[in-house]
Amino acid sequence: MSGKKRPKNARRKPRESPVKSLKIGISGVRGVVGDTLTPELLVSFAESFGTYTGSGRVVIGRDTRTSGEMVRYAVTAGLASAGCEALDLGVCPVPTVSLMVRRLEADGGIAITASHNPAEWNALKFFRADGCYLNSHQAQELLDIYHQGDYVRASAGKIRQPRAVSGATDVHADAIIARLGRLPRRWKPTAVIDCVNGAGSTMAAPFLEALGCAAIAIHDEPDGFFPRPPEPLPQNLEKLCAAVRNAGADVGFALDADADRLAIVDEKGRPIGEDFTLAFAVDHILRRTKGTVVVNLSTSHVLDAVAARHGCRLVKTKIGEINVVERMKAERAVIGGEGNGGVIYPEINFTRDAFAAMALTLHYLAQRRMKVSAAAAALPPFRMAKGAVPCPSRAARPLIEFLEKKYEKSEPDLTEGIKIHYGDSWALIRPSNTEPIVRVVTEARTESAAKKLNQRFMREIEEFIETTG
Amino acid sequence: MNPLKISVTGVRGIVGKTLTPLLAVRFSEAFATYVGGGDVAVCRDTRPSGGMVSCAVTAGLLAAGARPVDLGVTPVPTMEHLVSRSGVRGGIAVSAGHNPPEWNALKFVGGDGIYLDQREGEELLDIFHLGKSTRAAWNRIPRVKTLPGAADAHLEKILASVDAALIRSARLKIAVDISGGACGGLVGRLLENLGCESVVLNGEPGRKMPSFPEPAPENMGLLETVVRAARADAGFMFDTGGERLGIVTDEGTALAENSTLLVCMLSALRRRPGPVVTNLSTTRAVEIVARGFGVPVFRVPTGQAHVSREAKKRCAAVAGEGSGGVVVPAVQWSQDSIASMALVLDFLAGGGEKLSTAARRLPRLAMRKTGIAMDFKNVHSAMERVRKRVEKGAKGARLDFTDGVRMDWKDSWAHVRASNTESLIRIIAEAETVERAAEISAWAEGLLR
Repeated sequence: MSGKKRPKNARRKPRESPVKSLKIGISGVRGVVGDTLTPELLVSFAESFGTYTGSGRVVIGRDTRTSGEMVRYAVTAGLASAGCEALDLGVCPVPTVSLMVRRLEADGGIAITASHNPAEWNALKFFRADGCYLNSHQAQELLDIYHQGDYVRASAGKIRQPRAVSGATDVHADAIIARLGRLPRRWKPTAVIDCVNGAGSTMAAPFLEALGCAAIAIHDEPDGFFPRPPEPLPQNLEKLCAAVRNAGADVGFALDADADRLAIVDEKGRPIGEDFTLAFAVDHILRRTKGTVVVNLSTSHVLDAVAARHGCRLVKTKIGEINVVERMKAERAVIGGEGNGGVIYPEINFTRDAFAAMALTLHYLAQRRMKVSAAAAALPPFRMAKGAVPCPSRAARPLIEFLEKKYEKSEPDLTEGIKIHYGDSWALIRPSNTEPIVRVVTEARTESAAKKLNQRFMREIEEFIETTG
Repeated sequence: MNPLKISVTGVRGIVGKTLTPLLAVRFSEAFATYVGGGDVAVCRDTRPSGGMVSCAVTAGLLAAGARPVDLGVTPVPTMEHLVSRSGVRGGIAVSAGHNPPEWNALKFVGGDGIYLDQREGEELLDIFHLGKSTRAAWNRIPRVKTLPGAADAHLEKILASVDAALIRSARLKIAVDISGGACGGLVGRLLENLGCESVVLNGEPGRKMPSFPEPAPENMGLLETVVRAARADAGFMFDTGGERLGIVTDEGTALAENSTLLVCMLSALRRRPGPVVTNLSTTRAVEIVARGFGVPVFRVPTGQAHVSREAKKRCAAVAGEGSGGVVVPAVQWSQDSIASMALVLDFLAGGGEKLSTAARRLPRLAMRKTGIAMDFKNVHSAMERVRKRVEKGAKGARLDFTDGVRMDWKDSWAHVRASNTESLIRIIAEAETVERAAEISAWAEGLLR
């Protein structure tokens, strides 16, 4: 906050409901360690999941958070008590957990990570036997078991000793390289990778080297103390940008804490925006294989343009990774993902995978013989703006109804929240699933237009919340 | 039988029913809070539920900000030895010792390497019941420490406690029954170091844990046969956690559990006469043997912590309980079946006397042990009834109420007490003849009605 006195007539900030430090919902259980995310809660949740899988085989992986080991022990105890065979992969990216669930023919998986949340948070995310997250119905079933508290308790004769499984990240790296191959001999790019001291730290450099790069890793101390906010947003990537410039590297990559999302920095040390991660991957795949692409509603229309260039269909779903994944399965999509840097490449696994995304990016650049900046410039120029307005959850629904009425004429899309189109521009207004805020995403042909549109809606929403109290 | 017992000695229950991971987490958090953080050693025996329970314990310790020192599958006395001689603040043993495989327990060891006593245990229970355990902030959660060589120091200490050269020169042949428990590795190394030829039964950890891993004569039939067939000098049976020891003589006869303490007394007092400490339920033969060496006997209420603490206070030469758990002070103040075995080997090598001969010299008293199971909510009122009745006179007995009711007559005694670990009342009666012991026992049982 600035020290300036607030003018009397300044708009009062809407009163925020206290930030919840625990969220138990369909996307798993998420909380602050030392406060709400207790081992008691974790044990009970793991018992519920063990019961849900029918006392089956369950794979566990975690990111590097300082609480990861505590959480892992609690989860293992709960699973073992429910008669599960608990297989611990140790510290590894979330997409590795997804892959190993299928490779080890497990009945489910638990990823211990609060992905882009700050370091004091942790969370459990639940995978099904096919390596996808539980969908909302399945998550509801799991929650029902948790709330009923009627967990399977294996008797001494049925209980199984937990085991550690080593080498999971090698299996993952090998799977990607086996599918996409090494880079052509003629091109050995220098890549700088920022692992945010997260789950990708130990796997990143060897993976890039194996792919055929000269790799420079920064923030690759897997100690769970994040040197920057873990979300790979442009404003968080200063160190990476500088490192790319200093090394004269061809490309910079930024991971989030659980290594499912990827952001790209060009050879001049400028972040190109997370949307381009998916755009590169989609363009690369569609050049080789024509097929359907699935993205979510808040993904850039760059993707629409790319799909249209190849004459391919693009399907949009509600926000939430599992919604994209299930639609991809139904549509037999060749590629899909989210505009936040989450690329889902079904040939490897049905989850966002920053490592698959890096391989796709590098192959794309190699095939097009282009620098990152040129490749980005070759795509239609769309710019996004993102904002958020604090909004008590009771005001969320009236807000959407209000906007629906107000923008009736432009035939808004109500798949989730409300999406309003204006020719090339659009705005998506959507209450967050995880925080008491409303997110406002806008896109236009230029950055200033996108920002302007964003500010307009932010103002409208603030006014609405203020007037309804 | 009530399958959950929370008491000052720890938490004991049946896995799949009452000993849940949640309970183990909560108790471990309370224990971490009780010791005020720092290092806490964790060991487990080979029970199938050991991995599950020790994961829950580790999670609870970490969440409360204590650093678990994970010893893995390790005998309880090895953990206690480590705690007693290092900066480790305490220990949790995931071991139900002699209980059947479906049971498991958490047992709490203080910074001195001895189980918590009544007062300390009550403090721990208070923290547990209040539910106000410490919660470490995210950046204060320690990392688990592993300590693979923890058994080495224990082994060295045991070797130093006996005349190793003498034992080696005796070239003893020893049969051991490990009960599929945690002691196999250390017992094997010790016997090898002492130049003993060994025959091992149930040595594979956890694979074939017997239904009753209690080193009592009725469970030592196989060991008796093996001792005879192998013409061994002795046979030893261990419980899964390594606290109790059962002995088979060179003639292949299993000795009663309380003889372990007596044989250890013969060995220890021969080298260094000194006080003996035991509990109120243990055979009066302890006094008879001690009298032969001219040393005093101190009796304390039942419970390992009481025996260990009194032994430390009295600088005892040897201490223990009738259950087969013996304290070898040259090694540590907690019950240690492996050190006890070494002490017996020292006797065999040094005295020129066979075990069977020594056993025949031991006083012959008849003991009768009865357990009367009752609903857990009636145990304490039943004890109160007994107390009231004997206060009016109990056939002229000398009365002692420090732990239940102990009645002493000239030629016999009886002890009625509530079990620390199960929902039952134990009656122990001892006399010079079987008939007399049965008679006293039946009479004491009548006090409960």
